[in-house]
Amino acid sequence: MLRLTLRNLAANKARFLMTTFAVVLGVGFVVSSFVMSDGLRSTFGALSEDITAGTDLLVRPTSEFGEPLPLPEDLVTEILAVDGVDNAEAFMESAENELQPIKADGSTITTAGPPQLTFAWNDDTEIGAFTIVEGTAPDEPREFSMDHTAAAKHGFEIGQTYDFVTPLGVEEDFTFVATTSFGADNATVGATLMHVSLAEAQRLFGDPGTVQQIAISVDPGVDAAAVANDIAAVLGTTTAEIVDQATVTAEQKAEFTEGIDIVGNVLLGFAIVSLFVSIFIIYNTFAIVLGQRVREMGLLRAIGADAAQLRRSVVAEAVIIGVIASAIGLAAGVGIAALLTAVFEAVGAELPAYPTILSARTVVLAFVLGIGVTVASSIAPARAAAGISPIEAIRDGAAVTPENGRQRLVRGAMTLLAGVAVGSFGLFGPGLGTLALVLTLGSAAVLVFLGLTLASPAVARPLTAVLGWPVAKLMGTAGGLARGNASRNPRRTATTAAALMIGLSLVTMGYVVGESVKSSLGNLIADSVSADYVIAGMDEAALPPVFADELAASGQFEAVTGMRYDEARLGADVREVTALDMGTIDVLFDIDLEAGSIPASDATDVILLHDELAADLAADVGDTVPIEFVSGHTADLTVAGIYADATIFEDPLVPDQVFDAAGAEVADEWVAAVLPDGVSTADLAPFVAELERTYPQVSIDTASEFQQSFEDTIDSMLLVVNALLALAIVIALIGIANTLALSVHERTRELGLLRAVGMTRRQTRRMVRWEAVLVALFGAVLGVAAGSLFGWGVVSALPADTFGGSLTIPIPQIVQVVVLAAIATLVAAWLPARRAGKLDVLDAIAH
Amino acid sequence: MTQATVTTEPAARAVGAKKYYGEGDTEVRALDDVDVEFERGKFTAIMGPSGSGKSTLMHCQAGLDTLTGGQVFIGDTDLSSLSERELTLLRRDQVGFIFQAFNLVPTLSALENITLPMDLAGVKPDQAWLDEVISTVGLGDRTDHRPNELSGGQQQRVAVSRALASRPEIIFADEPTGNLDSTTGTEILAFMRKAVDDLGQTIVMVTHDPVAAAYADRVIFLADGKIVDELLDPDAEQVIDQMKKLR
Repeated sequence: MLRLTLRNLAANKARFLMTTFAVVLGVGFVVSSFVMSDGLRSTFGALSEDITAGTDLLVRPTSEFGEPLPLPEDLVTEILAVDGVDNAEAFMESAENELQPIKADGSTITTAGPPQLTFAWNDDTEIGAFTIVEGTAPDEPREFSMDHTAAAKHGFEIGQTYDFVTPLGVEEDFTFVATTSFGADNATVGATLMHVSLAEAQRLFGDPGTVQQIAISVDPGVDAAAVANDIAAVLGTTTAEIVDQATVTAEQKAEFTEGIDIVGNVLLGFAIVSLFVSIFIIYNTFAIVLGQRVREMGLLRAIGADAAQLRRSVVAEAVIIGVIASAIGLAAGVGIAALLTAVFEAVGAELPAYPTILSARTVVLAFVLGIGVTVASSIAPARAAAGISPIEAIRDGAAVTPENGRQRLVRGAMTLLAGVAVGSFGLFGPGLGTLALVLTLGSAAVLVFLGLTLASPAVARPLTAVLGWPVAKLMGTAGGLARGNASRNPRRTATTAAALMIGLSLVTMGYVVGESVKSSLGNLIADSVSADYVIAGMDEAALPPVFADELAASGQFEAVTGMRYDEARLGADVREVTALDMGTIDVLFDIDLEAGSIPASDATDVILLHDELAADLAADVGDTVPIEFVSGHTADLTVAGIYADATIFEDPLVPDQVFDAAGAEVADEWVAAVLPDGVSTADLAPFVAELERTYPQVSIDTASEFQQSFEDTIDSMLLVVNALLALAIVIALIGIANTLALSVHERTRELGLLRAVGMTRRQTRRMVRWEAVLVALFGAVLGVAAGSLFGWGVVSALPADTFGGSLTIPIPQIVQVVVLAAIATLVAAWLPARRAGKLDVLDAIAH
Repeated sequence: MTQATVTTEPAARAVGAKKYYGEGDTEVRALDDVDVEFERGKFTAIMGPSGSGKSTLMHCQAGLDTLTGGQVFIGDTDLSSLSERELTLLRRDQVGFIFQAFNLVPTLSALENITLPMDLAGVKPDQAWLDEVISTVGLGDRTDHRPNELSGGQQQRVAVSRALASRPEIIFADEPTGNLDSTTGTEILAFMRKAVDDLGQTIVMVTHDPVAAAYADRVIFLADGKIVDELLDPDAEQVIDQMKKLR
């Protein structure tokens, strides 16, 4: 029996190659996601250890909530005096892209991808982990160093001076004094790493007399834990903690791992989709191939093979395919990982070099998934094949008895309903955790897809007839025959189309949700923002604290306010609080005031509350609420008003004066400004251009540009959807081409007859191609319907006050995708169509 | 009727037709210098033992297969000068086919099967002629049915109708009754005879069956790729005797 199995595989090489390809793709994505995340984890693990290598203990400030206050610089000297301490140095790190050097050609280093970071130089290279490659350490004002990789890449030369974008505006003439290496191999993973002196660091991104953290090395042979206890004694009233090297390394690793996991999970999602889609293709291939072998099966039954033997033989075939496909998939996975790395690099999000790690877990999983998926999809066809009556099979090659159509429809409908029920529970039921929600919605999707595939043969005939009508009209007899072929075997059409259905439904859902959120958000922003300009730091760079004041002082605007955020304890809970110029609220925003009034610019110790928060705090207009900041500063704020609009502000709003008194955050996150009547944004363009030259790190958007930037963000998320589309379409096309090739083979005699009575090769090819397109369109229609349903569900489940909850179905995009899929199908059908056209008429008739 | 009374040019003819397979010792001469003419408006049967070359002759004469040497003509068109596409169009427009089995496209109704060659050509069938053919064949109200809803005999009648419907120069039939029981076979043969007598159609039929051959005006006997004999207005007895000689 095994020999027969092997012979069968050898006889149907091309066909099984295509089945294999589907499995390979699925397994390949799973493997690539593990190869990439394992490799990156190893790289970043090593990096984490490098970073903390010379630091035995780290003192860092703590606070009950919010961003802790920095440590006093004096503490460094005090710690140095502790017994057993070998050295202690301040650690200072800028925010990402807070400082940006301007290259010789006047441009800044692009900030998409790895960040630019600036540190205070540590003379102790054990603690600092940086060494000078060339030049001298930056210890004077306006001196800086850069890691040698970035310096070479961006053309920075020692001895030259460069301008810097800083939070204080552009500062001129920083001397480039040294190139450095991070650890031995300068493993910067793409970042640009710079140093300035401690004093410069304090001036540019810290506070004078304070340091962010203190890194400590202990004397050789001394127990770090014992030293830590002694250091604790000198901390005094400073709220700070002492952590050891292992803790810091672990934290660093965890932080990196979080990012790696996101990449890994996206890839895993792709993998699951492609594996799931593959199942349909594998199933279809087995079903068709076995259908063609009915006569042979009948013969085997007649000469004494029992049903179980036949079944085992089919499953054995599946196992062999599974093993081969998994092995190829394993290799392909490594290739896909390399390919994706190259893609990331091409789009500017360079990944660090990582080792290729094929762990035992990855290998085992590849084989389990590959074999499992293949065998699972062969079981039903194997059962059907084994169940045929030997005599019938030999006599006229009886078709494998199809399952009762009505029964199938009922089962499909039940599965579909179950999927919808599970999905509704996930979306509208009690709040689930992220993982539980993903699993719930995932299984809902699987149920819906299975249900649709089971039930859709019932509509395959009428639907392909309708879809095929224009084809039959336009393409003459070939079109009419294509239409007939697409609907002659509804189950095959349905299963073949399933792959495309799944792909398109995911894409449609993405589009529907994306567009709905876009338009809802657009309306909400238009409703609640009346500012002409929205200004924020580029790539999360901080806005210079002086910026809003300078804007206000320019006299170009009717009203300007900066928005800064900090955490504070309000009532019993810690919340984010927004500080702004209260007097500008009326002109810049529409916060939909429900009670009270908006205070003037000079009001002190007042607060505006969103109505939900007011209800939480049981506060009414005129009541006072106590507030406590990170610094320990407290105040009693009088509730001046209660507002309803949550688009821009959900936080409690306080006047700038409250933050200033509390020593809270000084830098604005963003700034809003409105022009006086009769002045247009066009009038102000020269002023804005000048401003952008002075502050290159600032992005000045008009209200419509601001709205556009929201849409761009959503569009960039839709890119993932598009990638998913490409993947799903590729797999689906393989499936369609595969089924078509099998159908052509099955219909050899019919094709021969058509050719004999005068169908030209061209007409034959056209017939096959348009059959493929009709199958694809059938899948597309179901997919778009299912996707719109999913999209509607998700949009309905989104909170209405922040996303608006209104449904937009982007018909042009969807039509575009469907047309794209149809065109791709025409291309995919090229080979089977060519084969059909080339059939030798006489051979075909005699077949 | 005798050959001498026919003055028009033949509907089809082969001149020095050769079809060889293989080379050297293994060379097989399926057609070995065959000259034959198929008269217009006549029913010709081709007989011979298995491997005599009768199917090869028909396939080459119908433009389904190509010759190693010599020429075949449909009307005055030399098939050896035609491209694959021209051959296809010739089959579509000037030749009708009836095969032993699998004569119909399963996705098309009986009527659509009948008009298929004309649909492929994009020409409108002559409705009066079509009605005449269908009523002659006796399909009546079953023209809307799919092939799998028709009996074997009905399917074969549809095939004959399709061959007739486009009024081809010539119809080639390859064992048209081979798959039918004798009663149904007789019906089909009678109908083919009628098409020749009443409609003036030219038919060439390859067959094993002496009874079927007896419906023809003329029987050509092939053996080892050569025409060895022929009978005019044969009856089944004569055909059987002739066949016995060939074995």
